[in-house]
Amino acid sequence: MKFGKVMMMELKNRWKGLTIFSIVILLLIAGLIQAHPSIAEGFEDKLEGQDNIEIRMDETEEGNITITLSWSDWAEDKEVDRYTVMMGRGPSFTTPLLEEDVGEVETWQYTLLKENDEIPERYFGVVAHVDGEREFVGMETSLEDENGIEDIWGIDVSDIRGMISMLWGMWWFLLIGLYLGYVSVNSVSQDFEERRMDIIFSTPLSKRQYIIEKFSVLSLYMLGLLAVSGLVMIAGVSSVGELDTVSSSTLFLSSIFSLPVFMVIIAASILAAVYFEDSKKAVGFSFLVILVQYGINVVVDLGEAFEYLEPYTIISYWNHESILFDEIYHMGDFFLILVLSLLIVLGALLIFERKDIPA
Amino acid sequence: MKKQPVIKIRNLTKKYGDVVGIKDLDLDVYKGEIMGFLGPNGAGKTTTIRTCLSLLQKTSGDVKIFGLDSHEDSIEIRRRTGYLPGDFGMYSGLKVKTILDYLLSQSGVSDKSKMKGLAEMLELDLNRRYGNLSKGNKQKVGIVQAFMADQDLIIMDEPTSGLDPLMQQKCYDLFREERDKGKTIFMSSHILAEVEEVCDRVAIIRDARLQVVEDIDSLKEKMGKKLEIEFENSVDPSLFQMEGVEDFNMNGKRATMIVTSNLDEIIKKISQQNVLNMSLETFSLEQMFMTYYSSGGKGDEVR
Ligand SMILES: Nc1ncnc2c1ncn2[C@@H]1O[C@H](COP(=O)(O)OP(=O)(O)OP(=O)(O)O)[C@@H](O)[C@H]1O
Ligand SMILES: [Mg+2]
Repeated sequence: MKFGKVMMMELKNRWKGLTIFSIVILLLIAGLIQAHPSIAEGFEDKLEGQDNIEIRMDETEEGNITITLSWSDWAEDKEVDRYTVMMGRGPSFTTPLLEEDVGEVETWQYTLLKENDEIPERYFGVVAHVDGEREFVGMETSLEDENGIEDIWGIDVSDIRGMISMLWGMWWFLLIGLYLGYVSVNSVSQDFEERRMDIIFSTPLSKRQYIIEKFSVLSLYMLGLLAVSGLVMIAGVSSVGELDTVSSSTLFLSSIFSLPVFMVIIAASILAAVYFEDSKKAVGFSFLVILVQYGINVVVDLGEAFEYLEPYTIISYWNHESILFDEIYHMGDFFLILVLSLLIVLGALLIFERKDIPA
Repeated sequence: MKKQPVIKIRNLTKKYGDVVGIKDLDLDVYKGEIMGFLGPNGAGKTTTIRTCLSLLQKTSGDVKIFGLDSHEDSIEIRRRTGYLPGDFGMYSGLKVKTILDYLLSQSGVSDKSKMKGLAEMLELDLNRRYGNLSKGNKQKVGIVQAFMADQDLIIMDEPTSGLDPLMQQKCYDLFREERDKGKTIFMSSHILAEVEEVCDRVAIIRDARLQVVEDIDSLKEKMGKKLEIEFENSVDPSLFQMEGVEDFNMNGKRATMIVTSNLDEIIKKISQQNVLNMSLETFSLEQMFMTYYSSGGKGDEVR
């Protein structure tokens, strides 16, 4: 029995939906990458006038930190009477921890005592007095990170790699996963529900080949979508001039390497479809699996207390961050998930082979 | 030459959980015949057919088609068998031609001439979307699909349902034509006239059990005629214990009997009495089927 005809039929029956979905995904990728420069800028300008003040942090012999602020660039060709420096726990100085008149000098030094062996989070503001008017020079912070921001996923979104990584981990898994789960369930359960099974199996087609072809065609579709997504990312990153941050091959491979994760979703959905026969139940099951997997991943990222859950979400084996940032490819994880998807397909066809086809 | 069974069913039982679909069925379908499979709703026709094609797993028993095991060799069997399901759908968004091309190539046949010929005969437009077809036209697609690969055995579950009488007639012609080419046809039906017209033999099932298997012709013959006589005086029933009389019944001065043969002598015997009234009517298959359909079926004719 020749391989591929069931696949062709599936494509003929479903190409419109798949094409529309692919276009939506590709447009989203292109759009988000185009938006990256302004997003990054948004993060960099977090503190008002941060560019006007230079900060230097030196460790003292006792292990404390000497903060040196200077704003001479800002002060150029300005007639300033005097400056006031404020220090606070946050970026507003309504109740400052310290307010100091520093006169005409354009620099200020302060020793910050470590608390619990860590540099305390402090914000510094400089105000200039010109002709009796107060003028805000800018702010700085003692936080190591220049943006003062790290989200809970520990990803720096101002870096293009961080943004792509977040895109994959947070959005793509859910968006593509849910759609793919739905399509995969329907690729089989519509044959049940529209009473096509008797006709399909009136030909010398084995149940095994039927399942394998359904799995293959959806996996190949996914491979195609990921390959084109990779190309769109390369084009996008190049157009925003970030190709020196991350190479095009890394971008492409980060996309392709997510294939096994999606193959698991396809396989699990096909299994649900043959097990439940009813598409509503099967879609429900498939969505549950995807949401639980996603949920575990979110919880794992919340903190070390939940790290023991890490092996239980396939997203952990995807490693898009290590690919994008360090170009490390965890081939072991890749094949582990690939084999997992094949085992699930095997389960699906064993169930299907032992089943009556409902009339 | 001994007749050669293409389908050989022995002791077939299929249960859906507690529900019995078919019980202890023995049935042979011979090469080159059209076997009708008749029974009321829920009798087990579809169950039997789908078990033969391994779409259902049998509970027990043995089914051989072309001498091959229905389950182990189901792929080879399906390569050589055309099947029209009783209740089927197809890809509603696709053209009939696309669907039939796919099914034909899955059967390993590249010659489309038979498909086109059948479509023409049944006046079916292959360029229409399946989903837009009327019920009868969908059924035609099913019939074309069952015959287009020119296989040796055709199994059909209520093949003419939804077709108008003219189309039904065309289908009967087709079935006979195929039979005459040496094909074997096994078809289920509710329609007595259909079975009477097109089938060579019929198997009747009721309540998941086989009631009778017979040649249509000998069945007709066997059923004979129903004779009703009103005598002037009551007569001795032993008078009519003779060849060709069955089911003799005397009720007062009225006698009823089934006459299967020997009509001449029976009439002569009757003429020795004073007859007030008499009617002789040919038993139709219809009446016979009603006998089998209703609970008073002749259980002793089960083989
Ligand atoms: N999937 C199923 N689950 C449970 N019982 C079933 C199933 N399919 C059929 N049955 C039962 O098996 C019996 C035989 O049904 P079957 O469909 O074979 O009858 P049929 O002779 O084809 O009837 P019809 O003329 O209505 O098509 C019926 O009692 C039916 O209710
Ligand atoms: Mg039926």
